Amino acid sequence: MLDQLRDDSPTAYRLARRDIVFGGVVLIGGLATGLVPTTSALAAWSDEASARFMEISSLLIPHRLHEDVGKRIGAAMGALNPALSQQVSELLAIAKNKNAKIVEDFFPDVPNGPLKETALAIISAWYLGVVKDADGGEVLAFEYALMYGPTSDVMTIPSYAISGPNAWPPDAPPLENMPDF
Amino acid sequence: MANDQSADVVIAGTGIIGCLIAEQALDAGLSVLMLEAGPRVDRWRIVENYRNLPPSLRLFHWDAPYPPKPWAPHLETRTAKEQEQYLQLEGPNARAYLQGYVRYAGGATWHWAGICWRITPDDMRLKSLYGVGRDWPFSYDVLEPYYTRAEHAIGVSGPSDPALQWPPNANRSKPYPMGPLPFGPGERRLTEVAAKIGMMNLPAPQARNSGVSYHGRPACCGNNNCFPVCPIGAKYDGATSLPTIEAKGGRILENAVVYRIETGAKGAVEAVHYFDQNKGSHRITGKIFVIACNSIETPKLLLFSKDDRNPNGIANSSDQVGRNMMDQPKLFAELELTEPLWTGVGPVQSSSILNTSQGDFRKDYTGAMFRMENYARSYVGAAAALKKGLVGKALDTEIRRLSACTARLTVEHEPLPSPDNRLTLSDKKDWLGINKPNIYYDVGDYVRRSAKEYTVPRLRALADGLGATSFQLSPEFLNSDHIMGGCIMGTDAKTSVVDPDCRAHDHDNLFLPGGAAMPSGTASNSTLTMSALALKAADAIVAQLKHGPS
Repeated sequence: MLDQLRDDSPTAYRLARRDIVFGGVVLIGGLATGLVPTTSALAAWSDEASARFMEISSLLIPHRLHEDVGKRIGAAMGALNPALSQQVSELLAIAKNKNAKIVEDFFPDVPNGPLKETALAIISAWYLGVVKDADGGEVLAFEYALMYGPTSDVMTIPSYAISGPNAWPPDAPPLENMPDF
Repeated sequence: MANDQSADVVIAGTGIIGCLIAEQALDAGLSVLMLEAGPRVDRWRIVENYRNLPPSLRLFHWDAPYPPKPWAPHLETRTAKEQEQYLQLEGPNARAYLQGYVRYAGGATWHWAGICWRITPDDMRLKSLYGVGRDWPFSYDVLEPYYTRAEHAIGVSGPSDPALQWPPNANRSKPYPMGPLPFGPGERRLTEVAAKIGMMNLPAPQARNSGVSYHGRPACCGNNNCFPVCPIGAKYDGATSLPTIEAKGGRILENAVVYRIETGAKGAVEAVHYFDQNKGSHRITGKIFVIACNSIETPKLLLFSKDDRNPNGIANSSDQVGRNMMDQPKLFAELELTEPLWTGVGPVQSSSILNTSQGDFRKDYTGAMFRMENYARSYVGAAAALKKGLVGKALDTEIRRLSACTARLTVEHEPLPSPDNRLTLSDKKDWLGINKPNIYYDVGDYVRRSAKEYTVPRLRALADGLGATSFQLSPEFLNSDHIMGGCIMGTDAKTSVVDPDCRAHDHDNLFLPGGAAMPSGTASNSTLTMSALALKAADAIVAQLKHGPS
């Protein structure tokens, strides 16, 4: 029997980075849901590859990006896609060729097919916090998932709170007021 | 003091019903032993499980943070294959009985919405007033004091204005212990729009602490995660009662799967038997036995306990055990709107329209409750926007628009008790060798007629009022997770399973309280009515042990 204790984590969660990373100390509130990926994927992901992944991520996504989350996403994507490093280089080359500062500067030049699919997959992973959004998908970011950014002035990240007891407002800011994130 | 083998009151099930009865019995000086099929788990672990789910499984897969133990299976829905494993469903509306509940200490209130509607006097007289269903064996006036006790026992917030209460302007023996939680932007707008077409959106009474702490639980801070778990325990769930029960001397055995009820020569229950997690069998004796395992697990246990003395199963001389299974058949509509609505502020549910559940039309078709889901739609907006292949500012703008300018409206229909909607024992068995539940479910023409002539047109009118440019109706009736029936209440032992105190007609010392006993389902959430019945049963249990059967 795996657990005689009051611990009902499924086996997959039991591998848990949090138990490894934080030595079993778990808080309900402010910590990120894991900031280091499973050991094997991370080990295969070099510092250089990680840096280049962050560089292309910063060009694809106009927001503050958490470096540890980037390491996790890059390692996870690299484990699934052997061509990732090469595709990152190609995307960087397109961006450099356009002297791009933001995604709109170079994205129209990314050809349809695997390269564009990878670019969109990188964006998706940063926004959703997962590479695979289905059963078995590993959560690489929870509160740092960028999907919460565009609504962060109104909607809380579920399980977190952005107001106090009975302090949530009956009105919302205009749709045009995009939060900075 | 109870021990591991015997107690004055032995309770199978540690959900809200078992917990309410346990506390009442302990307060009366009785010993209590509770048996829970599943594990006992700390809140932080459920929160961690939830946060570690891929985002597509964080919505509508309320079971996902509660992986069952092999010896206490419940519905799992992460994959289609997984969904077929435990509940065996058949009939024209099998999908409408895909019931989610948790076989953990604390029970299904772990992931309930916390909504605490009362039913109305008319809801209890369907046969007399409209010629359908069954009447309750007592009036609303009998139930009312128990409603009030339940509201104070679990901590229900609600409006003090009688016009905003449900049933409206009815007598109450006490106010709610806390005032209502405030509306967010979406609920405020829905209320205004609904009022223009005669639909009154009421602040929902809810077992969530409003502005203050209550019974050691903190005030709700709008974490918007009531299901699948309140991360701070501001919402009542059975797990919050367990330490109190233990402090009062109650004993709780987890991972103890009751599989047999044993009766003596005179018909009284003498013991229950349970399997532990190593398949070891144990016998528990007591004076009063309470089976409070929900309306699926309770009739399943009664049927599985059949023996020479009880050839149809325990408490089943009427052949009504497992019949009259109910839940509110649900339809929903996904809307896209021209203007922002902004759901997701405050609790995930905080209001409902109920004046649509009452009226003379109930002679012909059923009434219903309408509401708007108030969960944060950031993921819904993001997933849809990402699918469009957008990037940069266009992506963010579309995420914000699709999160704010979309909504899900829901309508839940009142079911009628039908003997054909029946739980039986499947040929398929679980890890312990116990038969899985098999349920036949047909929502019936009474509901189908309502959907066609009444509720779906109302749903469209509500959507139009909100400025919907898109209206996607669910293709079939779905479950509402309000499991009722299976041990129906009545005064005639030939046509019902339990008496008005939820005592089995066939066994004086066996109580089957909660949703299983409800003679009608009504359009609204069932938990407060189940809780009121539990307290009524608790009074009868205490009186019976102090003074003998009435």
